[in-house]
Amino acid sequence: MSDKKENLVSCVVNGKSVTVSKNTSIIKAFKAAGEDIAHYCYHPGLSVAGCCRLCMVEIEGNPRTQIACNTMVAEGMKITNQSEKIKEDVQWGLDFHLLNHPLDCPICDQAGECGLQEQYMKFGQYEPEMNQNKVKKNKVVSLGEKIVLDTERCILCSRCVRFTDEVSKTHELGIFNRGDRSEVGTFNGKELNNDYALNTVDICPVGALTSKDFRFKQRVWYLKRAEAICTGCSTGCSIYLDYNDEGFFRVMPKPNENNNSYWMCDEGRDLYQHLNPKKRLVQVCPSQSINASSSEEAVQGLKTTLENITDKTKVGVLVTGQYSVEDYQAFFSSIKEKTSIEKVYHWFDQKNSENDFDDLLIRGDKNPNTKGLLSVTKDLSLNLVDSLELKNTASHLDVLIVLGPEYNKFFSTLDEKIAMFKKAGQVFYFSSVKLEALDALSNVTQIPLPSLVERGGTYINYKGLEQKVAILPKVISGILNFSEIAKVLRGEKVQLEPVFLKTQKVKDNQFNFQKK
Amino acid sequence: MEVKILTQHYDKPEYQSLEGYKKYEGYQQLKKALTLKPEAITEMVKQAGLRGRGGAGFPAGVKWGFLPNNGKKRYLICNADEGEPGTFKDRAMMDRAPHQLIEGMIISAFAINSPKSYIYIRGEYFESKRIVEKAIKEAYAANLLGDNILGSGFSHHMDIYSGAGAYICGEETGLISSLEGKKGQPKLKPPFPAIEGYLAHPTIVNNVETLAAVTIIIRDGVEGYRKYGTEKSPGTKLFSVSGNVVKPGNYEIPLGTPLKDVIFNLCGGLKQGRKLKAVIPGGSSAPVLNEEEAMSVNMDYEDLADKGSMLGSGAIIVIDDSNSMVELLQVLMHFYHHESCGQCTPCREGTGWLSKLSNSILEGSASLNDVKLLEKVANHMKGKTICALSDAAAFPVLSFVSKFKEEFISAATANVALQFQSKNGQSYKRG
Ligand SMILES: Cc1cc2nc3c(=O)[nH]c(=O)nc-3n(C[C@H](O)[C@H](O)[C@H](O)COP(=O)(O)O)c2cc1C
Ligand code: SF4
Ligand code: SF4
Ligand code: SF4
Ligand code: FES
Repeated sequence: MSDKKENLVSCVVNGKSVTVSKNTSIIKAFKAAGEDIAHYCYHPGLSVAGCCRLCMVEIEGNPRTQIACNTMVAEGMKITNQSEKIKEDVQWGLDFHLLNHPLDCPICDQAGECGLQEQYMKFGQYEPEMNQNKVKKNKVVSLGEKIVLDTERCILCSRCVRFTDEVSKTHELGIFNRGDRSEVGTFNGKELNNDYALNTVDICPVGALTSKDFRFKQRVWYLKRAEAICTGCSTGCSIYLDYNDEGFFRVMPKPNENNNSYWMCDEGRDLYQHLNPKKRLVQVCPSQSINASSSEEAVQGLKTTLENITDKTKVGVLVTGQYSVEDYQAFFSSIKEKTSIEKVYHWFDQKNSENDFDDLLIRGDKNPNTKGLLSVTKDLSLNLVDSLELKNTASHLDVLIVLGPEYNKFFSTLDEKIAMFKKAGQVFYFSSVKLEALDALSNVTQIPLPSLVERGGTYINYKGLEQKVAILPKVISGILNFSEIAKVLRGEKVQLEPVFLKTQKVKDNQFNFQKK
Repeated sequence: MEVKILTQHYDKPEYQSLEGYKKYEGYQQLKKALTLKPEAITEMVKQAGLRGRGGAGFPAGVKWGFLPNNGKKRYLICNADEGEPGTFKDRAMMDRAPHQLIEGMIISAFAINSPKSYIYIRGEYFESKRIVEKAIKEAYAANLLGDNILGSGFSHHMDIYSGAGAYICGEETGLISSLEGKKGQPKLKPPFPAIEGYLAHPTIVNNVETLAAVTIIIRDGVEGYRKYGTEKSPGTKLFSVSGNVVKPGNYEIPLGTPLKDVIFNLCGGLKQGRKLKAVIPGGSSAPVLNEEEAMSVNMDYEDLADKGSMLGSGAIIVIDDSNSMVELLQVLMHFYHHESCGQCTPCREGTGWLSKLSNSILEGSASLNDVKLLEKVANHMKGKTICALSDAAAFPVLSFVSKFKEEFISAATANVALQFQSKNGQSYKRG
């Protein structure tokens, strides 16, 4: 937004003065003024459809009411949506939307975050007036692997269609038939499986599009929301993580004008699974020489091992770009206190695809913090070298300390790494995520780490944008974070926090009733 | 009382061909126009006061004046979709005098500096399409179309495009969507087609009759054209008269002619023993007039507006006392329900609701509240949508119910014995 004076206009919205840039729609002026305005079809990340006809406003001097999403503000314009006329319009607008709506809220996954419910609570709360039968349409239509459509619940706002036309540019969706027989659907049985398809579920104001993954797992009013970033690639989309004391349940994009706009990719949505115990490394996996039963004992084993090595060139450190700046600082400093390492091996398997970009969000560098790793190693005068070098050097190492990937599906050359681990003397493998392939290696001690949101910290994305992840309580007990690891390495005692999960098991599906 | 200006030669079959058309001064107006300045033609059309004959009655010259000078290619589109129930004049014009339309279109295209035009013709008009297609071919062969028309330096190309039978594709932006190969759905305005129309280019959409009349304005000049009609509604217009008259058909009359004369003189009045009950004066979307209004109204834009209706497309539907207004409304509501494109919620849901309500009333399974509801629903569909189809569905409801209320009430409650009234005023059918 340019703030040169000639590019600004002042107008009055419900009695409040606001100044916005020229060519701003009235609906945006309402938002800027903090004034409530009903709307379904408008979405700031999409073109204007102007079809729900809910955002009606009155403009002083204009006898016709206008829609706020397609009318631009002008200097001195006085706009209101508080007049009796507009209130009645909005009430009727809602009435029309609900006319053929099945009202199956009790079995609808959107209940609790549904645009219709919200408007009904504000403007509705009256008896229905139509006595005739409602229009029947298709329910539970599978649109592919990820999404289910209920055409009866659809209010035909066309947001999903516009998304596939304008954002993903994949054009799978259309509105077929006309009038009150209109139905959203895909062309020629095409499936809605593009890399960004789940965004349509987020922007669908009602329960017409639901995610197969999330559906029926939780009622949304039982969920809490944390802000984080996605660690799936170097874009680092801003996200919401929805969780409660049964675990993490879904990831949704958090609007961020400077980065991911209103969207995220579908891969990134799997992040929540890596935070739940099921995919986590929940306890120490001892090795032949380190017979530890707790993280603390395992780190003590590392401490003793490091202390016993006199030739410091026999200590290797291998890291991925998936940890926060603070994580790297704490980790490298504590290792450096023990032993004088000079170089760090960089586990980075996307050399050929590093600069790939799909022109929307997905980047070839599958690490959220490659930039952060580079800057921390530089600050600490550590030499970051390609992990391929380990092919030659691994057999000389007495100990290899690894900060493993957390998003292991991206790590295509895992076999190569395992071959290197086998050559080294002992391997201390830190990660929050369970890697089954390591269990067979007798020289590897696996030590669990807290997850992304249990550690928090700063991530620097591909363009140098620094983003913070807030710290959430731990899900799994007995796990040390990096500062606690540093304490143990220094020989200090640690006091572990209690966990917050009610149950250690996350239920896969609430409707998997046990047979008696 | 009929004044045949446009339709002067419609009785001659040869008028359909280029050769025949040329016998009666055909394409002389084009030759004349090509010697004029384009702006001068636009000015003439403005001065002549030619108002759009497709329904909205917007002054054609004024619309042409909205075209921006942004160097973008301009398109001219002839709206020959003729979907308004009751209207069948454009078909007659294309069948009898295709060259009159083509000539008018070339002159209009010259006036607005457009190198390309389309005729968007109603899907069911197979025969008319064949006739116009043939005429276009003849015109090309005679260098009346194509490059450097008659050596004037002006080039213009013309194509005809068939609709698929959707009423909504007669609405100018729905037409443009359809022509672009998209689903025939009206577009949000602004931007208006004159600014951003077909393929986002400046576009003028005019009705068949509007474009054909441009030829007459060139021929007769502003004064000559204004000889007929009223000060604010100049010229003659074709009216399609249908319903309970003895001689239905297309009639060309000067605007301002009393409706009474049209029905009782031109069209031979009603059948023996019948009494006039109501008239829909401008196509099914126009509010209905009761007998008294119909007998006193003049057929021009202003007087009809004064009587709360509109001239629309000029389709006069005459209703005698053998008809049930409830039944007629039910048919109309079925039509609008079927034809709503479904984008705008009030229209999509409202047309369906109106249709259901009028069905229930007709069946006698409604309550008094349902009659009130008809009006309430229609009132909240007016002036709230992307195009005027929603209004077009609401207008008949409001006028029918307010002018023939007793009929609706007695129909609604015909089977009242079968009903009981619930606490909240809803009615339920027993059994
Ligand atoms: C639902 C709807 C249907 C319409 N159908 C037609 C039609 O069939 N033919 C037509 O000429 N105009 C039709 N119109 C009017 C056009 O939108 C437009 O106003 C007209 O083509 C402009 O030409 P004119 O100014 O020469 O009348 C329709 C309008 C609406 C709202
Ligand atoms: S499925 Fe949802 S987003 Fe798509 S049109 Fe229907 S209500 Fe809108
Ligand atoms: S684009 Fe990258 S950061 Fe964004 S959601 Fe996908 S994987 Fe995560
Ligand atoms: S008013 Fe009706 S027909 Fe016109 S655009 Fe809206 S839904 Fe479609
Ligand atoms: S938000 Fe403006 S019409 Fe839907």
